[in-house]
Order: sequence, then C-alpha cells, then structure tokens
Amino acid sequence: MSARPSLGTEARNVAVVAVLFALAPLAVLGSSYYESVLAHLLIVALFAVALNIVFGHTDQLFLFVGGLAGVGAYTTALLADALSISAWVTLPVAALVCGLIGLLVSYVSAKRKFTVVLISILTLNLQLVFSEVFVGARDLTGGSTGFPYEYFELGVVADALGVGEKLVLYYLVLLLLVATLGLYLKLVHSKYGVAFDAIREDEIAAESIGIDVVRYKTIAGFVAAFIIGVVGAFFARESGYILPGGFTFLAVDVVVLIVLVVGGLRTTLGPIVGAIIVVGVEEFLSSAQSLQSWQSAIFGALLIVLFLYFRRGVVRSAREVLDDAGLTGERGGGGTEADADGGR
Amino acid sequence: MVAVSTLLGVAVDGLAFGVFLALLGVGITLVFGLGEVLNLAIGTFAVMAVLVATVVVESGMGLIVAAAVALAAVAAFGLVVDRTILSLVYRSEGEERILLGIFTTLGLTVFLDGVLINYFPSRYTLPLNVGTVSVGGATLTGGSLIIIAVGVVVLAILFGFLRGTFLGKATRTVFQDERGARLVGVNPRRIRTLIFVLSAAVAGLGGLVFAAGSAVAVSNGFQFTTFALIISIVGGVRSLVGAVTAGVLLGLVNQFANFFVGSYIATIILFVTAIVVLLARPEAIS
Repeated sequence: MSARPSLGTEARNVAVVAVLFALAPLAVLGSSYYESVLAHLLIVALFAVALNIVFGHTDQLFLFVGGLAGVGAYTTALLADALSISAWVTLPVAALVCGLIGLLVSYVSAKRKFTVVLISILTLNLQLVFSEVFVGARDLTGGSTGFPYEYFELGVVADALGVGEKLVLYYLVLLLLVATLGLYLKLVHSKYGVAFDAIREDEIAAESIGIDVVRYKTIAGFVAAFIIGVVGAFFARESGYILPGGFTFLAVDVVVLIVLVVGGLRTTLGPIVGAIIVVGVEEFLSSAQSLQSWQSAIFGALLIVLFLYFRRGVVRSAREVLDDAGLTGERGGGGTEADADGGR
Repeated sequence: MVAVSTLLGVAVDGLAFGVFLALLGVGITLVFGLGEVLNLAIGTFAVMAVLVATVVVESGMGLIVAAAVALAAVAAFGLVVDRTILSLVYRSEGEERILLGIFTTLGLTVFLDGVLINYFPSRYTLPLNVGTVSVGGATLTGGSLIIIAVGVVVLAILFGFLRGTFLGKATRTVFQDERGARLVGVNPRRIRTLIFVLSAAVAGLGGLVFAAGSAVAVSNGFQFTTFALIISIVGGVRSLVGAVTAGVLLGLVNQFANFFVGSYIATIILFVTAIVVLLARPEAIS
C-alpha cells in the first residue's frame, strides 16, 4: 500500500548521502566556521527526522521540539555536573526522560482521541512551560545567562587524532544521523510503517482491522521524543553554550517544520534536503548585514507559501521529474503517492 | 498580613489584565468557532495596533484619535489577510483546513514579527496619564479603571451585535450549523470575512489596553497569542461567554499570583491551568 521506493533503494540512497557528507568537510578546507555550519545542518535534519516520524507518519503535531531538545540538553548537563560523571552516561537518561514525556503526551492524546489541533495546542503549551522553566529555574539552569556546554569529552578525541573539536562533533552527529535514518527505514518498512499508514488514512478503519492505534501512536511519540532529546544535547554542544533562548518555539520548531515540509513529509531524505536548503538560505542571508535582519520575515513568508502551494516537498517533486525523464530504477512510485494524498 | 485595600488594588489591576485576556480570547474564539481557523497571528494583530497608535501619537494626535486610527488600520489589515491567505485556507476542508490554518497564521506571525522588528526595535507604551484614584482607603490605578470600563462597554456592544442584529444572528447561525445557514440564505464566507475583521479589531483593542499599562515590544506578539490560546482552552474554543469568563478569571488569578509568589510562578500557573483543563475536558475544544 505504500508507494515508497523499496528498502534496498532507500538504504542505498542513505548510504550515498552518508558518504557525501563524510567527504563534505574536505570541501570546506578545515574552516571551523563551515564545519560548524555543516554540523548545524545535520542537527536540524535530525530534528526533522524525529518530527517526520511523529507528525509525518502518525499526524501527531508535536509543537515542542525545541522544549524537548532543551529538556534533553539541560538534563544531560545538570545530571553530569551533579553526579560528576560523564555526559555519555547521563545522555541516555535524559533522552529517556524526553521519550517518556513524548510517550505520555501521545498516550493521553490517543487515548482521549485528541484532534491534531488539540495535540498542537497541548504541546505548544508544554513548550512554553519548558521555556519558562529554563529561564526561571535560575539556580539550576543559570537562567538567561546560561552556562558553557562543553561535555562529551570531544577535546580528548580531537587531540588524539590531531583534528579540531568541531570536526569530531560533526562526524559524531553524522553517525547519529545515519543511525537514526537506519532506524527510520527499519520502522517504516516494517509492520509499524503499514500500521502508521493505515492509521493516517482512517483511524477507525485501522482500529476495526485490529490495529492498536493507541499503541502505535504512543510508540511514534516515544521514538521521536527520544531522538529529539539526544539531538538536543548535541545541539547545545554545537553552540558550546546553553541558553534558554536557543530552545524556543520560534528558534527551533518553526525552522524544523519548514525543513520537513520543504524536503517532503514522509520521505527518508526529505529532512536532509530540507536542511540543506534552509541552512543554505540562513547562510546566504547572514552573509549580508542588510539581509540578516530580514531572516525571520523571509522564513515566515516561506512557511505560508510552502504550506499553501508546496506541501509535497522537494524530494517527491524531484523523484517525479526523474521518473518522467526515466532516470530512476523505480517505476512510477513517487508521483502516485504525492497525487493520492495531496502531499499533506 | 496584607491590607484589604491593597488586595482591592490588586483585584482592579487583575480585572484590567482580565479585560485584555478576554479581548484576545474573544478574538481567537470568534474566528475558530466560525471557520475552524485557529488564528495564531492574533497576538501580532494586537501588537500592530499598539505600533500604529504609537506612530499616530508621536505625530502629535490625541490618544483617542490614535486608538481609532490603530483599530481601523488593524481591521483593514485583517481584511487583506482574510481575502488573501484565508481564502486559500478555506478552500480545503476538515482537518486539512485546520492544519493549514495553523501553519499559515503561524507563518504570518513569524513574517510580521520579522518585518516589524526592523522598524520598531524598542518597547512602546501608550500611557493614559490619569494617576490613581482613592476609594475608601484603597489606591486604585486610574488606568485600570478606564480599561475595565472600556472592556465592559466593548464586550457589551459585541454581545449586543451578535444577539440583537440580523448580521449577528446570521453569524451565530453559521456558528451552529454551516449547512443550515446556507439553506436559509446566509453566505458563510462573507460572514467569516466580517468576523475575521471584527476579531482583528477586538485583538487590536486588547493590545491598546495592554499598552496602557505596560510596554509592548514586537516580540510580545507570540506571547499574546499564547495567552489567547490559554483563554480559549479554559473557556472552550467555541464559547464567547466562556472566553470572557476565563479571561477575567485568569486575569485575577495571574495578578494575585504575581503579587504573592512572583511573575515566574504566575506565568507557569497560567500554562498549567490550560494544560489541566485541556486534559480534563478536551471535548470543549474539538
């Protein structure tokens, strides 16, 4: 029933992309600025993969990606400091905390049959609570002054290999992205993917053929929130400093939504393509002082236009063009899916 | 021990804040009830009114003229948004329309914030300069009293319009049953336009009311929107009376919490109330 390319093709595509990104730092010639742009790009893509699982595949609009990322980042750091242990030990704990938040939200929403509006309002409210707490719990989080975020002992690895810290972080995040995409592919090409599709088409029909809607939605919520928690810690690590302002709705969620929609909901490479485009636009705008102050305006306009006219995303459109030109091995696939669901 | 007169002062300020919340809540409720579009740009509409009024005041006009110009400007802008973006949104149906509504109005907020911040980088306030009033030993903020009066009058007019006039009745028909409304010759699309413009003006008034007491920055827009959302959750997203009640109630709660435990906890109380109500009775909003 799914019009996705086969698992083999998708896995091959991911491998190609992974190799390209593994080589990408060579192209920027050791500039630590561009290494950090690249790392940022992958982090944004990771957020989008997580949102794709929960929103793209099960229609649960999580509007607290930023908040969850913050919970992940702060929990990792604060636990590591309090217990004087490595952040590598506390990261899974923090991710689990995020995962449980996602699980709880999804479970309650599914159990009570929340519509997409309700989930979005609920999560948006949670996002604001998290933001308030990050700022307000000054004794713990340092409030709006924040604190340096230099966990994960990247310096040790960097010294041992004789490369920059940024580069180590970049490859770490790349590894994480490949692993996450692997998990994603495994998920959507299994019975979970079939169940997700069925639930999205018609929840009641799905239930009537024996699909446990609550269970699948809850799993999607947990997986997505867990990933967001992990990525959140590296997001803070990439900045080298943690501030509540980095995890606001406008700073994270808006960008991740644009990335996901530009690239294409429910596509494997959509989040990466979207991240390349969005981070590219960001870089272009910040290259000129006069343009930089308009970044927010341009992203807002982009959000409106994308959702009104381009909900199928670049990946699907490109696949169609390639199909028409007979350039891909897969037959037909992409076009029919995009037409069938209107790319929503 | 806190003196009763002090508490009275807090209550009056709380009511004034409640008027602000109620106006925002009514603004978001009107539009959602009528067309299932959750207007996430409503807070920015409120901020726009303040900015326009500031410009007019700075050009030497009086506060009343400034308020009138500001409301007219925001209403006109509401009309433009309705004719352009919302026309496209209303083309889709059901859940898809709701999603589109969320994303386009969210995009509009981000867009407007991004544009406005370039021209209005600081914080703006519209002081009423009426000082304080002493009632039975309690010192009340004059501005708050005026705000409460304005709020009561405007909300009374609004309810009078919805209950008393033909247009108002037509609006309520669409609220209750869109197909039924169409059958008796009411054009839902035109009613939606009217209500959207009205809601923009109401939100604008909310902004002006807020600016009478505190400074407003462009970045407050999204915060105002979240206030509106909280009110509509607590009051029920389709109930105007609920929105007004929730606004006044939460205004009081917020001000007292502010007074006793500080603004950080007060804000958290607001959000947690919304979440609890959301979980306790979601049917009010769907």
